[in-house]
Amino acid sequence: MATPNSDKDMRIIFRTVNDFIANDGAVRLGRLSLPNRNPVDTPNYFGLTSRGAVPHMTPDNISKHTEIGGVYIAIEDFLEHSRKRAYPAIYNIDVPGKEPLHAYTATPSSMVTILGARRNPAVTAPSGNGRNYISIFTSTGFQRLDTENYHRAIENVRPDIAIPLADLTFNESKAYSNAKRQLRMVERTEDWLAAFFKLRDPEDTPRKTDHGAHIFGPLLPTDFQTQWEYINRLAQDYAEKLSGLAVYDVNILPDLAEYSSLTHLPRLSLDIMTSPHDILRQVQLGIDLFTIPFLNSTSDAGVALTFKFPPPPNPAASILPLGTDLWSVDHQTSLAPLAEGCECYACTRHHLAYMQHLLNAKEMLGWTLLQMHNHRVLSDFFAGIRGSLGRGYAAFEEDCARFARVYDTEIPKGTGTRPRARGYHFKSEGGESKINEAAWENYEAAGSGDPVVAAEMAGRAATGAKGEGKETPVVPEGGAEELDKKGFAEIDK
Amino acid sequence: MPSRNDLLIIRPFYILTSTFSFQMVSLLKLAKITEEGVRFMSPHDGTPMLLTPEHSISLQNTIGSDIIMQLDDVLVTTSPDHVRMREAMERSVRWLDRCIAAHKNPDTQNLFCIIQGGLDTEMRRECTREMVARNTPGIAIGGLSGGEAKSDFCRVVLTCTELLPELKPRYVMGIGYPEDLVVSVALGADMFDCVWPTRTARFGNAITKHGVLNIRNSKYANDFGPLEEGCECACCRTGEGAMGITRAFVHHNTAKETVSAHLLSIHNVWYQLNLMREVRNAIIADEYPAFLRQFFANLYPDKADYPEWAVEALRMVNIDLRSNNT
Repeated sequence: MATPNSDKDMRIIFRTVNDFIANDGAVRLGRLSLPNRNPVDTPNYFGLTSRGAVPHMTPDNISKHTEIGGVYIAIEDFLEHSRKRAYPAIYNIDVPGKEPLHAYTATPSSMVTILGARRNPAVTAPSGNGRNYISIFTSTGFQRLDTENYHRAIENVRPDIAIPLADLTFNESKAYSNAKRQLRMVERTEDWLAAFFKLRDPEDTPRKTDHGAHIFGPLLPTDFQTQWEYINRLAQDYAEKLSGLAVYDVNILPDLAEYSSLTHLPRLSLDIMTSPHDILRQVQLGIDLFTIPFLNSTSDAGVALTFKFPPPPNPAASILPLGTDLWSVDHQTSLAPLAEGCECYACTRHHLAYMQHLLNAKEMLGWTLLQMHNHRVLSDFFAGIRGSLGRGYAAFEEDCARFARVYDTEIPKGTGTRPRARGYHFKSEGGESKINEAAWENYEAAGSGDPVVAAEMAGRAATGAKGEGKETPVVPEGGAEELDKKGFAEIDK
Repeated sequence: MPSRNDLLIIRPFYILTSTFSFQMVSLLKLAKITEEGVRFMSPHDGTPMLLTPEHSISLQNTIGSDIIMQLDDVLVTTSPDHVRMREAMERSVRWLDRCIAAHKNPDTQNLFCIIQGGLDTEMRRECTREMVARNTPGIAIGGLSGGEAKSDFCRVVLTCTELLPELKPRYVMGIGYPEDLVVSVALGADMFDCVWPTRTARFGNAITKHGVLNIRNSKYANDFGPLEEGCECACCRTGEGAMGITRAFVHHNTAKETVSAHLLSIHNVWYQLNLMREVRNAIIADEYPAFLRQFFANLYPDKADYPEWAVEALRMVNIDLRSNNT
């Protein structure tokens, strides 16, 4: 941890490098700097984690083969109930010189951690939130999380940045269209935020004090009329306690220009986005930091992103795709990289044919290489945005307009199977079929399978003393004649 | 001109290929073997396929791998059908002749024969003599690691290696448990291949010199030590830039995120490679018996628990595992 410095406001972690007159100065080039972490130039994006890991990537690969400066981690990934443990294991780790969240998840210490209560995107809880708690989805089922426990979690795991609880339901279609529900969301979030700051700082000490995690206040997914009182309160009572804003609906941003105590804060988008077009729109509205939910799902789908910013010259005036479906048999013999001109590890060492082969063989390496590539495309995309803004806002607007003309509107959907989805990725509905069909069946009809493999799966490593003392078993039951009668080695049944 | 393999996979390592693996015996809806070749159903689309020795070599010539394996007639080692076993053994010898005749790149690609013959020592000897007479650059012992008792396995390996020439690599196919590796080396084997280190990683198991740990066990939830103390793999090593992977984090994600399978694979493969490095160093230092005694002492605190098959197998090559000499 950094030593408190009385001359410096510990709360301020963000400086704008360049504000633009357009959009009321909302759009800016900036730099996020936290003690002991590498600075992050904005606009930029942070990696989304699942259970503390960027899917398919080990921490060494994240350091070596991506440029992401930070990760978003959800506390619900760590709070599962266990009869064997009174406290989540993450509360118990103690590594000198490392924050518990960094140490437990092996996040490289150069990287910033942002802690939220729920994953992004989050699974909708059927029971909703209560007056004092939100519903979180752990690998052992739904649980309640109140402000006090969330505050304790933040004190325990010590993220760089934390987002306090907000009364979000993550159910677009129902909740947010209901005016009463929206009002309740604003009221509850305001109450919870007050309670949260009280817990963090009962004495209400003046600014410039280090209270651990930097707090990004949530802006809610409602219109301005519904939450203006809440935003007033943020600006008047809490501005000094905030280091940033977590924006759940970017459409609120134009209304923020009036609040001078909030405008200098970095803005993290947790709004829905499905394509780079959405990212550009959100940059134009003034978002500094992104989490990109479509990045992991695009990699899981076996799709390599191919877009660039500013867009390349397009003399043919054809619509360029945003990505390539690597499952397609078209790539079976293609020695081209995943994206032309990309300098990522996957593109400089491998090619489409190998990627297509890995996906079809369901080798985990396929998804690892895809993540390296897709993260690189996003990092380059944001570097392109910053470069374009550096040439002035008009240049950026022009590049955005050209991007919208040149590229397709949607990322192509992968045609193949996905890696296995887990319960905490989604809430299954009754009667749903499996995402992926079983590719292999046991040769033996009874499904007895290979006893050695079965023992390994059951956690009994079939090695050592247990494996001995047995006579060689007569594996196929019965002699050759009997096997022949049963149809052994016949091609047609 | 680079071969297709050079184009398909950029490779700083040697590549060994085979067209028909023993796993197919247990996994596939299989397979009718005739003198012509193996007929089987494609695992991709269920269409009937025919793999002949000539086609097998042609495929491997195209791939351009450094070591290519002959097509052999392989059946479950433990098959009680002596007649079929003999037929498979003799056919494997005939197919080797066809493979040698079909091999287009004998100067750049090394064709290995595969000794068959089940658990019948006499049949193995006969096969070994036939295979050795054909003078391939390397020799594989096949058809093992298919559920036979370990003592049978050791007896077969020793039977074959005793008849093999000194200066050709001896490859025991499908071997991977640490105990099997070190004992096989004592019995005269040089190289191995096995899916076990990475497969068992995907099941959440970590190989250590004191045995295999099932990291899914809840006792590791609060274990913030490395997978193995003192291990130098990318997960466990300490110092500048170390990943700092704990058992607790691997436990947290086993069977939930692929990252744990990746981390355990890194650790397990490193363990196996390091084990073989230590084996080579011990042989060079002429201390292999002492190495074996230490290896088993690490696995079993009590000598009485040493696996009998290993004790007996090593006695065949005059190593007393329970001796107090180090």
